[in-house]
Amino acid sequence: MHRRIVALSSVYACLCAGLATLQAQEFKLFDRTVQVHGFASQGFVYTDDNNWLTMDTSQGSAAFTDFGINMASQVTDKLRVGAQGYDRNLGQLGQYHPSLDWAVVDYRFKPWFGVRGGKVKTILGLYSDTQDLDFIRTFALLPQSIYPIDIRDATIAHLGGDVYGAVPLKHGRGDLSYTAWAGHRRDSNYSAYVYFLQKYGVAGSTYGGLQYGADLRWNTPLKGLLIGASRMNADLTDNGSVVYPGVGSFQYSAVSKADWTNQFYGEYNRGKLRIDSEYRRFLHDQIVNGTTETVSDVRGWYLAGSYRVTKRLWVGSYYSRYTITSVAGGVVASSFPQQTDTSLPANHIYDKVITARVDLNRYWNAKVEGHFMNGYGNSSYPEGFYPQVNPGGFSPNTNALVLKTSVSF
Amino acid sequence: MKSQRALLLTVLLVMSGSICAFSGEPKVIANLSVQIDKISADEVKKIFLEEKNSLADGTHVEPVFEKNGPAHETFLRQYLGSTDGDLRYYFQALVFSGRGSMPKELRSDAEVVAYVAKTRGAIGYVSAETSTEGVKTLAVVNTQDSAQRKLITRVEPDYPETLKRLSIGGTVRLQVTISPKGNVETVALLGGNPILSESAAAAVKQWIYSTGPSRTTLEVSISFDPHR
Repeated sequence: MHRRIVALSSVYACLCAGLATLQAQEFKLFDRTVQVHGFASQGFVYTDDNNWLTMDTSQGSAAFTDFGINMASQVTDKLRVGAQGYDRNLGQLGQYHPSLDWAVVDYRFKPWFGVRGGKVKTILGLYSDTQDLDFIRTFALLPQSIYPIDIRDATIAHLGGDVYGAVPLKHGRGDLSYTAWAGHRRDSNYSAYVYFLQKYGVAGSTYGGLQYGADLRWNTPLKGLLIGASRMNADLTDNGSVVYPGVGSFQYSAVSKADWTNQFYGEYNRGKLRIDSEYRRFLHDQIVNGTTETVSDVRGWYLAGSYRVTKRLWVGSYYSRYTITSVAGGVVASSFPQQTDTSLPANHIYDKVITARVDLNRYWNAKVEGHFMNGYGNSSYPEGFYPQVNPGGFSPNTNALVLKTSVSF
Repeated sequence: MKSQRALLLTVLLVMSGSICAFSGEPKVIANLSVQIDKISADEVKKIFLEEKNSLADGTHVEPVFEKNGPAHETFLRQYLGSTDGDLRYYFQALVFSGRGSMPKELRSDAEVVAYVAKTRGAIGYVSAETSTEGVKTLAVVNTQDSAQRKLITRVEPDYPETLKRLSIGGTVRLQVTISPKGNVETVALLGGNPILSESAAAAVKQWIYSTGPSRTTLEVSISFDPHR
C-alpha cells in the first residue's frame, strides 16, 4: 500500500509540475487524431466532530485523491471512440484500485438520434455523469443529498447502451434533449455499499445488477433556463457471507423488490450568475435472505448559487437537505433500525455550504469550502457518516473545512 | 470629369481590398465545401457547442475556435452566450464523460482562415477586418427572432449622385445587430459595392425595430437601382 501511495504521489507531483505548460496532447493513429486528456485532484478535510466520508477527518485527513486519463478519437464524421481510466482514494473507499471509468463507441446518425455502447456514464439529473469533475464547478463537493461522493458507484456508469438526441421545438420553444439507457451496474469491491455492509458483519460482498432509465431536458426559450427530469429503475443483487464468531458463517443475499429513483431539476445561467436546484427521491425495497424486507425511502433536494466575482474568482453557496425513512419486517427485522421520524439527527443531514474557488491558471484551481451540517443520517443506507470510523457514536452537528486543488488538461 | 475619375479610382481601390466592415462584429467563415451562404444564429450555436455536426443537407461541419482575442470574446458572448472559462468547463464536461471532443483551437485570425480554407467542412470566425480569401463568409441570421422584430422606422439611404449618373448600382447585403430595445447596434458588410454600402449602413443605423427579448442578428439587403 505504501509503495502504491508513493508511486501515485509521484505521478501526481509530476502532473502538477508539468501543468504550467501542459496542453492537451494529441497524436495521429492510422491517420486519425487521438486526443489525450487528464485530471487529478487532492483534497483535505477537517471536521470538528464526527468523522466524515470514511476519513479520519476529526484529525484532518488528506485521504481524498482522485485522477483520471482518457484517450478519444473522432474516427469518422459520425463515429467516435474513447476510454477513460479512473482511480481514487477516499478514506476507506477506492484505496487506489483503478477502474475503467468509461469506454464508449458512439455513432451519431443525426442530431436527433445517436447510439453509444460500452461502459457508458449514466445520465441522472444535472451532474451524475460529471460528478467526479470538481474542476468544472465552483464547489469542491456537490450537494451530498443528491450526489453522495461515497456512493458514486450507484449512479456513475453502466455496461450497456444509450440512445440519445436533441430535437428543436417549433415556434422558438427551445430544444428537447433525451437519453434512454439500459445496462449492468457493478459496484467496486471498495465501494461504500460493500464497506457499509461490513457494519452488519457482511464480508466478501458483491453488489450489482440491471439498471435502466431515461432523462428528458428542455432548453427553454427563456435564455439560460433548463429544466428536466430523470428516472432510473434497478434490479440489484447483493451476495456475501456473514460471520458470527463462535457460531459460523452464513450466506447473505439481498435482492431488489423495487428500486427506483425520480429526479427533477432546473438550472439558470445569466451572465456571471448560476443557480441550480434538484430534487431526488430514491425508493429501495429489498428482500434479505428471502425472509426479511427492508424499505428505505431517501429524499433529497438542494438549492445552489454561484457567482463569478472576477475572471479567476468564484464564490458560491448551497443548502442541501437529505432525509431517510426505513422500515423492516420479517425474521431478522430487529437487525435493522426502524426509522420513521426524519426530524431525528440519525435520519437526516442538513448541510449549509459556502465556498470560494480561485483559478491559478487555465489548468489549475484551488477551493476552500465550509460545511455546516446538522444530523448524521446513519441508517440502513450509506450516506456520509459511518459507525466504523465513529466507534464512539455520533454528535448531532458537524462542521467541516474542505480544501481542494485540481488540475486538468 | 476629373472628379468622376477620382471617384471611380476610389471605388476600384476599395473594391480590390478586403471587404470593409462597420464594426467589430466577427465574421463567420466556412470552407468552400460548405454549400450554404446563410446560417441561423441558433445553428451557429449548436455547431460550436458540438450539439450538431452536420447541416440540414447532410454536410459534415467542424467548428474551429480562436484561443483568445477580441473576435473570440465577442463571438462567444454574442453567439454562444458564454465566456472563455465557461466554455472550457462545458467542453471538459463532454470530454471527461465520454460524450464529446475538445474542438480545434487556433491562435490567430490568419491561422483560422488558413485552417478553414484547407479543411473540408470547417467553420470558424474571425474579426471583421480579416482577409477571408479562400473561404466563404456566411451571413448569420436569427430566424426565430427576425420574424418577431418588425421594422418600425425605416430611413432610405442616399444614392450618391455620381454613382447613379454612372449607372453603378446593385444590392448591398448587411448583417445587422438589433438591441432588445430596437436600436441598431452594429452593421457589418456581407457583400456589395463599398461606396453604396457606406450609404446603406449609414441609413440602416438609424432604423428602429420593435423591442425583443434579446439581441437579434439578421441580414438586410438594400437595392440601388440607377434607373429608378
